Amino acid sequence: MNAHVNWFGETMKHAFLLLCSIIVILPFYLMLSYSFKSPVEIETNTGGFFGAQEMMVDSKCVKSGRPEAECTMRPIIYNYTAAFSEAPLLRYLLNGVIVTLSIFFIQVLVALPCAYALSKLRFWGRDAVFGMVLFCLLIPVHAIALPLYVMLANLGLTNTYAALIIPWTISVFGIFLMRQFFMTVPDDLIDAARMDGMSEFAIVWRVMLPTAIPALLAFAIFSVVAHWNDYYWPRIVITGDRDLMTPPLGLRMFKSDLDGDEYGPMMAAATVIVTPLVVAFLLAQRRFIEGITLSGMK
Amino acid sequence: MQRSHASIWFVAPAVTLMIILLIAPVMVAGALSFTNYSLGNPSFDWVGLSNYEALLKFSSYKKMFNASLTYVVIVVPLSVALGLGAAVLIQSLRFGGEFYKTIFFLPVMATLLAMAIAWEFALHPIVGVINDSLRYGCDISWMYNFLTGAWYGVDPASSWYGSSCDQFFPLWLGDRQYALGTIAFIGTWQIFGFNMVLYLAGITGIPRELYAAAAVDGADSAWKRFWLVTWPMLGPTHVFVLTITSIRSFQVFDTVEALTRGGPSKSTYMMVYAMYEKGVLHNLLGLGSAITVVFLVFVLAITLTQVYFVNRRVHYS
Repeated sequence: MNAHVNWFGETMKHAFLLLCSIIVILPFYLMLSYSFKSPVEIETNTGGFFGAQEMMVDSKCVKSGRPEAECTMRPIIYNYTAAFSEAPLLRYLLNGVIVTLSIFFIQVLVALPCAYALSKLRFWGRDAVFGMVLFCLLIPVHAIALPLYVMLANLGLTNTYAALIIPWTISVFGIFLMRQFFMTVPDDLIDAARMDGMSEFAIVWRVMLPTAIPALLAFAIFSVVAHWNDYYWPRIVITGDRDLMTPPLGLRMFKSDLDGDEYGPMMAAATVIVTPLVVAFLLAQRRFIEGITLSGMK
Repeated sequence: MQRSHASIWFVAPAVTLMIILLIAPVMVAGALSFTNYSLGNPSFDWVGLSNYEALLKFSSYKKMFNASLTYVVIVVPLSVALGLGAAVLIQSLRFGGEFYKTIFFLPVMATLLAMAIAWEFALHPIVGVINDSLRYGCDISWMYNFLTGAWYGVDPASSWYGSSCDQFFPLWLGDRQYALGTIAFIGTWQIFGFNMVLYLAGITGIPRELYAAAAVDGADSAWKRFWLVTWPMLGPTHVFVLTITSIRSFQVFDTVEALTRGGPSKSTYMMVYAMYEKGVLHNLLGLGSAITVVFLVFVLAITLTQVYFVNRRVHYS
């Protein structure tokens, strides 16, 4: 092999990867850039990345009867204020937080004891339960959406938080993952806890849970990213009530009642929705990559 | 005996939820596919196989299968090749690998719906940057000559770029010739970083000595070493990446719903969207369930193929 550095090859690789990077970054760049610019700059594709930030007049604000001086502002301010005032964006974000966190906590509450029992306790039917977990791993979520929708609709639960949360309360993947993790925990640890007189219940939450923190963290990222970004299920069960919409669904509503020059505010809303996860990812890349590719460990 | 008592309490919630939320729905979907059930109707009839017959008979469902399969056939090879290519290149870089890895993984993380809307802007036929840049290139002679192939003696007017310059550039999402390809492009854009990370993990697991051994055996170029060592050693990764990419491509929904709603003229009418449209929007749950069952069969077929390969072929260790 050649000991000297192949600078030509190295440069070509960088050139190719940079070209790919530009294509990958393009929609992020546009989203951010449009969220800064005035409607005119968006329509004529001028103003570079930040736009000229010349003062603009908000026509809706003037129509509502306020003095023009009060309605004049920089495009960036206009876009972000409109994003929050014309759609209940804050409410969408809050719903996103409520739904994703509820789902994660219930998933752990259900999965952890089950995983402990499957890995460390002997009981009649254990193999059958584990077989059931493996079988359920094969079921794609899109295949059960319609029947779940029918069930929830017949219970009168569509357009509720319950409809957004209930179908995800069971994570067979979480059970499987935690079981595999618990298999590596030495039995001595549990026996010692039993000697100390701890109940099985206490062992799950006070011994097993702390040992499982790294695995749980990865699972948390996996679960939160999936449900924050999920659009399919909220689209099905939330039909009218804007107060229940999750961020992607809210953004979709923003798009469908778009009138004319609201591109700036819409891209501002998109930026606000995408930013939390992207920033978290940039801060803790390794953990995120680990968490999201968890399904690769099956 | 207290212990086995505890285990019942530990397992019972999970088992109950699995039955109610996963196993029962699959059976309900199967049952519904033989009915003409609609929400709000007090009763329904068993209609035998007529929902499935409809799937075979009507041209819109032929288009549905066609669009779904075409999408998978475009996205899977492209995103696997790009993922593997990026992984191999990044692995061989002297510096900067982490930077590209971060960038390529961004689309996997970001809310797809939001990014789909950003792509829609980029692809807008009039104000979008893509067509804008393409039009701009028409007026720059070296760009024009390069892209139309005039430099290699091709008639500029007969090339795609040349004729587009003379008339107009595609509407992308609004043109049935281009819409599916455009949606597939966004799908590839989103997923290839995921494949890259899986391949990077796979490559790290290959013992270094194998490359030295291959070099001794005469594999003197990086290209030869790739085919002799990297490619075969990634066997298990290939199977996994292929499976997960195929399943995910079958599940495409967000981009279709937000950008094309299956159009124009059903060219992007893919299965999961059709399921949603028939079952939820049109309240034809029997038909929607029949599509669900077919979808489930496709996905299970992919998974079982994976299991077969994992057990048969790809164990090198």
